[in-house]
Amino acid sequence: MKKAPLVVVPLVLFSMLIVFLFQGLFSDPRELDSQVKGKPLPAFSLPDLMSPTTIYTPEVFRGHVTILNVWGVWCVTCAVEMPFLTTLKNEDNVRIVGLYFDQDLDPDFGTKTLTRVQEEVTDMLSRYGNPYAFNIFDVYRDTSLDLGVTGAPEHFIIDADGVIRMHHIGDINERVWRNKIGPLYNALIAQMNVNIDNDSVTNTEPSK
Amino acid sequence: MKYFLIISVLLLSVVVHAAEDNFAFDTPAQRAQFLALTAELRCPMCQNQNIADSDAMIAHDMRRKVYTLLKQGKSEQDVIDYMKARYGDFVHYQPPVTAATMWLWAAPVLFVLFAFIVVITRKNSRIDEDREIKLAKAEAMLEQEKQ
Repeated sequence: MKKAPLVVVPLVLFSMLIVFLFQGLFSDPRELDSQVKGKPLPAFSLPDLMSPTTIYTPEVFRGHVTILNVWGVWCVTCAVEMPFLTTLKNEDNVRIVGLYFDQDLDPDFGTKTLTRVQEEVTDMLSRYGNPYAFNIFDVYRDTSLDLGVTGAPEHFIIDADGVIRMHHIGDINERVWRNKIGPLYNALIAQMNVNIDNDSVTNTEPSK
Repeated sequence: MKYFLIISVLLLSVVVHAAEDNFAFDTPAQRAQFLALTAELRCPMCQNQNIADSDAMIAHDMRRKVYTLLKQGKSEQDVIDYMKARYGDFVHYQPPVTAATMWLWAAPVLFVLFAFIVVITRKNSRIDEDREIKLAKAEAMLEQEKQ
């Protein structure tokens, strides 16, 4: 009678091990704790991909809920998600901004001209649809590094105050949109509209 | 001699990999720092490779960043903190001791202690039981003798 608990110990340990390893089967090793979540975008000053004289700063994200999509023409998964992103833009009016970076463009030993990159981008967008409001060109890939980007495609959901609310690694498809990103996006849109209403109320009240 | 060559080629290949980018350093110490850092920082893309070994673009960029930071006179800890601020504790092969990671060190020690306690208590109880049984037997024999 006294020894019964001791017999149970290995059994309990074994079942705990089973649970631990079973979870491991479904864990995604690429899922990292994002360090930028809940923080405003890091400072940057980068040119537009198509017209490099236009310079963007984090201010372009103020006043809109935006999905910042890190991509490049060399990225196969980006091509796969592009049609879906385009439907999001056309049907749900989602504001998608591209953060473009080029793989072959070594910042120190440039091997590719800007016109060549632009040609490739235009070609790809005409083939798969253009979901982007505009593309920010991360020339030296510094901003990607600041954002903790590991590759492409990656997405940052940015609220109307320019704060990063979600970092999604991998593509956006219908399932991901329905289960993960869509709910947050809609909540942020609703929140923004409430804020605008409140602002307009507070703004109009003094004038009465 | 042949084996020595093969082994040295195998061992040196890592160094060659890291030097592929052709970074020029001010001092040999700085070069050693760079090699140490790139060996101990982990590539977030191709996991379980350090950034010295990895050929992923992110590893290239991180090596370049380590180089520029060292050139700016930053210390090794500064570079590690810089990378951790962007990629989390994950990026460093030396995990910090936190409530969650403490078990990596504590679990084996606790297991050995637990096993030790189990062995000792089992041994003692068995000796006691044996002694009691033997005593009971002796007692019974004595009783029989008396009769």
